[in-house]
Amino acid sequence: MSVEVQSQPSAEIAPKRRSAAMQSFMRVAKYTVLKVFMLMITVAVGVYLTILIANMGGYVDQILKGEIRDRIAQGLNRDPQFKAMLPEQRAEYVANEVALEEQRLGLNRPFALRSIAYLTNALQMELGRAQNMSSDSGSRQVRLIILERLAPTLLLMGFSNMFLFFGSIGIALGLSRKYGSIWDKLIVAMSPTSSAPPWFYGVFFILIFAAIFRVLPFGGMIDAPPPTNQVDYALSVIKHLILPSSAIIISAMFISIYNWRTFFLIYSSEDYVDMAKAKGLSDRDVESRYILRPTLPTIITNFGLLVITLWTGAIITETVFQWPGLGRTAYRAIGLYDTPVIVGLTIIYAYLLALTVFLLDIIYAIVDPRVKIGG
Amino acid sequence: MIKNRLMLVLGLLVIASMVLGACQPATPATTEPTDTTSPTDTTSPTDTTAPTEEVVEAPRTTRKGGWLDQVTMTVVTADAAITQISAGAVDVYASNLSRPQDVIAADAAGLERSFQFGIYYEITYNPSGEFEGNTFPATGKLNPFASAAVREAMNWLIDRNYINQEIYGGNAVPKFFSLVSGFPEYAKYVETIRGLEARYQYDLERADAQISAEMEAMGAVKNADGLWTYNDEVVDLVFLIRSDSDGTRVPMGDYISNQLEAIGFTVTRQYGSSSELAPLWVSGNIDDGLWHLYTGAWGVGGVSRTDAGDFQFFYSPNSVYAFTTLWQGYTLSDEDLALYDDLANSAYSSLEERDAMMAAALESTFKYGYRTWVVDGRAFSPWQPNVSVAFDLAAGVDINPLWPHTLRFDDAEGGSLNWGTPDLFVDPANPVGGSNWTYDNQWQLATNDRGVMGNPHTGIPLPQRIERAEVVIAGELPVGATYDWVDLSFVDTIEVPADAWIDWNPETETFITVGEAYPDGLTAVRKSVSYYPAELFDITWHDGSSFDVADVVMAMIMTFATGMEGSPLYDEAQAGALDAFKGGFKGFKIVSESPLVVEFYTDVWFEDAELNVTTLWPAYGYGDAAWHVIAVANSAEINGELAYTADKAEASEVEWTNFIGGPSLEIMKTNLDELAAAGSVPFAATLGMYITPEEAAARYANLDAFYGQYGHFWVGTGPYILSQVFLVEKQAVLVNNPNYIDLSDKWAGFAAPKIAAVEVDGSARVTVGAEAIFDVFVTFEGAAYPADEIAGVKYILYNSAGEIVEVGEAAPVADGQYSVTLSGATTTSLGAGSNKLEIAVVAIPVSVPAFTTFEFVTE
Repeated sequence: MSVEVQSQPSAEIAPKRRSAAMQSFMRVAKYTVLKVFMLMITVAVGVYLTILIANMGGYVDQILKGEIRDRIAQGLNRDPQFKAMLPEQRAEYVANEVALEEQRLGLNRPFALRSIAYLTNALQMELGRAQNMSSDSGSRQVRLIILERLAPTLLLMGFSNMFLFFGSIGIALGLSRKYGSIWDKLIVAMSPTSSAPPWFYGVFFILIFAAIFRVLPFGGMIDAPPPTNQVDYALSVIKHLILPSSAIIISAMFISIYNWRTFFLIYSSEDYVDMAKAKGLSDRDVESRYILRPTLPTIITNFGLLVITLWTGAIITETVFQWPGLGRTAYRAIGLYDTPVIVGLTIIYAYLLALTVFLLDIIYAIVDPRVKIGG
Repeated sequence: MIKNRLMLVLGLLVIASMVLGACQPATPATTEPTDTTSPTDTTSPTDTTAPTEEVVEAPRTTRKGGWLDQVTMTVVTADAAITQISAGAVDVYASNLSRPQDVIAADAAGLERSFQFGIYYEITYNPSGEFEGNTFPATGKLNPFASAAVREAMNWLIDRNYINQEIYGGNAVPKFFSLVSGFPEYAKYVETIRGLEARYQYDLERADAQISAEMEAMGAVKNADGLWTYNDEVVDLVFLIRSDSDGTRVPMGDYISNQLEAIGFTVTRQYGSSSELAPLWVSGNIDDGLWHLYTGAWGVGGVSRTDAGDFQFFYSPNSVYAFTTLWQGYTLSDEDLALYDDLANSAYSSLEERDAMMAAALESTFKYGYRTWVVDGRAFSPWQPNVSVAFDLAAGVDINPLWPHTLRFDDAEGGSLNWGTPDLFVDPANPVGGSNWTYDNQWQLATNDRGVMGNPHTGIPLPQRIERAEVVIAGELPVGATYDWVDLSFVDTIEVPADAWIDWNPETETFITVGEAYPDGLTAVRKSVSYYPAELFDITWHDGSSFDVADVVMAMIMTFATGMEGSPLYDEAQAGALDAFKGGFKGFKIVSESPLVVEFYTDVWFEDAELNVTTLWPAYGYGDAAWHVIAVANSAEINGELAYTADKAEASEVEWTNFIGGPSLEIMKTNLDELAAAGSVPFAATLGMYITPEEAAARYANLDAFYGQYGHFWVGTGPYILSQVFLVEKQAVLVNNPNYIDLSDKWAGFAAPKIAAVEVDGSARVTVGAEAIFDVFVTFEGAAYPADEIAGVKYILYNSAGEIVEVGEAAPVADGQYSVTLSGATTTSLGAGSNKLEIAVVAIPVSVPAFTTFEFVTE
């Protein structure tokens, strides 16, 4: 990031304002072009690396070829119609079927060429068609495969992480004012519990609330059989959301509060905060003007990055709770070596990340007068 | 300070509890059951004719369709299945479970469960270098498994009982052959099998001795550390061990590695999933020397009536796996190559000839030893104690066609049941080329029907939509009937009628007759005649349309139209299957439309007469469909908007036809509207003989109303209607079809397999030279097993050395009672010592033979 921290802005002489504005515009424009160019290069490199890794440098072709032959031979063997075939006829049949399938998957073209095609299509957001996966509604379009899972993912991850983020900040702010209190010490003591991932808590929650007390469902998104009206349906979804979101929240809550509380403590001990307190400002004013304000860039950065991580889902937690999210889609795509889906998920994440990074630079300049874009 | 310490202690306690929680015994994840399938030819001769219907004692009902009002299918992981059933969240988990801890948990929770033969396991060897110096051509390194003697000795090196007890908790069955121990072939050749099993029992010393001798003969020597070396290099075996599937192949591979290390080999254990290891053992070149052993496993799709094709499949370079260098590396004698081919192609003329061939083939497999069979795995599906359902002894619950007809709450009609499955809606659903996942097949079974229903306990079909059948065989082939619904006869030749249909002309959209295609006449090996009842046309599709001959004819048209170049529905992916079908097909003829009588001619035959009955039914490869629904999908395909198969969809860059969701629905609706507006009759030159424009209009209107009500196009005739589909949430709701033609209790007799229990009673001390008599009692649930349901009671007598002395049939005394008499000469031949009498009971209602042994002393 190309930013510069300056001292207090100085007053400009009036006749030079137009020229200064022009200079500022040119500076921002130059910065924008350069930044976008660099981000695009980064995205392209990142996506191409993903393509190479997902295909094990082309070795996946060998895997798929082996699987195709195995699958076709088994299918042939199951079918009594092939009993009348001579061995050489069967061999010819297998060869034809293998050729067809390899053609369908593009395995008849060198991986190097395909990898370039994957990249160029991805950069143009032409997500194309999956090789082996279907969307829940049965479409092979990568766009639909992703879109169908987006809503459940955003529901789970969005609710959990937003709650976690704002809850942590709120509690941390409070604790930063009560350093050494019993609650502060409790949070510090509990923070190591965040070393366990969400699915770990999820398993326990299922055991306690679903298996033993039977008050909440084991998983899934709705009751079986599904409710027939919209209100009941929504309530059912909320009921199914409780355990997975609780697992996500609990697993990260204490460490998150601890981190923010420590962060706020540092700012709380600044001289200008003590000065504000000495002036007799209320706690609320001190928090909002003297603690929160200077920490805004950090909070915004965290929030921005949080928003795009919602996109990735939570593979194991979704699996434990049978939640139909993008994490499971990604996991399945990796297992099936379905490159178009993997690339589709990656390119969207990459673009979102690049956009966030770009926007954050601008937001920094807005919220912090010391920051100057492209300076 | 005290507070700080308190907090520290509290924090430590929390961490400690988490660590302890994480230290619980690991439970390996259960993934999909198998990636492989066994040869499933389905024939077997039998000369015992029994009543068609099994004894049905259940009270009659007036209810039609399924027993339940509603079945909701929802996704449940295998790991959570027992817990969820115990907690009442689901009533049935339909997929396979096989871990020993799951068996214990299910029993502890008091759940009911099925038992089925699921996967069978073996060790595959890389024979590269056999007869060519015993070294890998690419590396020059010694390949011990190039030696048939080493491969044979592996049978003694592997303790199958240990594997069964330690890895499978005693739920598996030790295995020496590809034949599955629960299927008919096993019982049929039990004396040959038992002799070979006795010969190849675990014997580490013998294995070591034979392998050592062979290794030395190949030029290997043991170094100071006791390790085998060749050209001063340690012989390192690369063992490909599958880490996916049910997880049992890891401990199995580790155990066998330990055994090999115990006799002087070093073993590199290469763990990997199916896809990671397939490039090595399936598509790799065995001569590269990248592996020596592989933990193989194969699955069963149903009760197999014959496994005669196994020898070609597993041991011959003429296998369907002939494209691999592995199978090409199998070198058989000319005699055995021909023997395996003949067994696979049913090239024998009598049962006696077949028996001799099978016995020879069984023995020969040890001579080649290209694989060592380890165990027959057994799986189960659990359900609530107040639920009952029929299960297939091979396929379990979920893909047993009888589940929709038998699933119920005990002694209750109606109710709503929750059905757990590992997945749903994996691929698009369409009958012609849609999803072939078992997870999708299970709900489709509930909406479909069929001409004949496979008996889940024997694999022999029983009539469902047809009333009876005739089978005519040309020549003297070993074909026999088990049930009386089939009338079997033999003739010298079968002439196919000139007006039978044998091919399709895509341009004129008419069938080509045998007379047109074969002016000089055509003969067939087999003719089957299916007689449908008059009530056939009382059947209604789920959209209210009446069943019609046109539905049947449409299915036959589609068999040809999708695989023929020049057809607007041509699909390259279907062409090969059509060629295979036409390889044996000799024509079909609709003899009568009402009642429907259909003749079918072919050169493909099976030893069970029932399997030779070919019924015509509007069943496509992946589900049933009425002609008007197919017409809609055809229209979309011809317009280039949809495609039935993934291949064509990919090539055409259109959506893969999905009858239940996605973009396909709107496209199909548009095409439905167009067809309805035009009053279109598909393939009018042919189907116009059966469909009037008014009937077509009525059908399209019915379908439109059905789509309006249910929101999909999956229209069947089965006992349940697909009512609601939640694609993202992964739920399917099936509701009872009150218009189903059969009463709900039609298949009630199949709730539990009638597996016999056997006991032997007799003197434990027998005088050498004196006659000895043993009583055999055969029961089912405590009651005597009816004699007319017993195919045979065999006895096998072993002496104190474990050698087979005599094999014979027990004499029937009364229902459930048999007698085995050992003559004075026989007891003399035993000499003094401890002997064993094994009884094998083969019952007609089930394929699983019952065994028991009785030990006695001769003195």
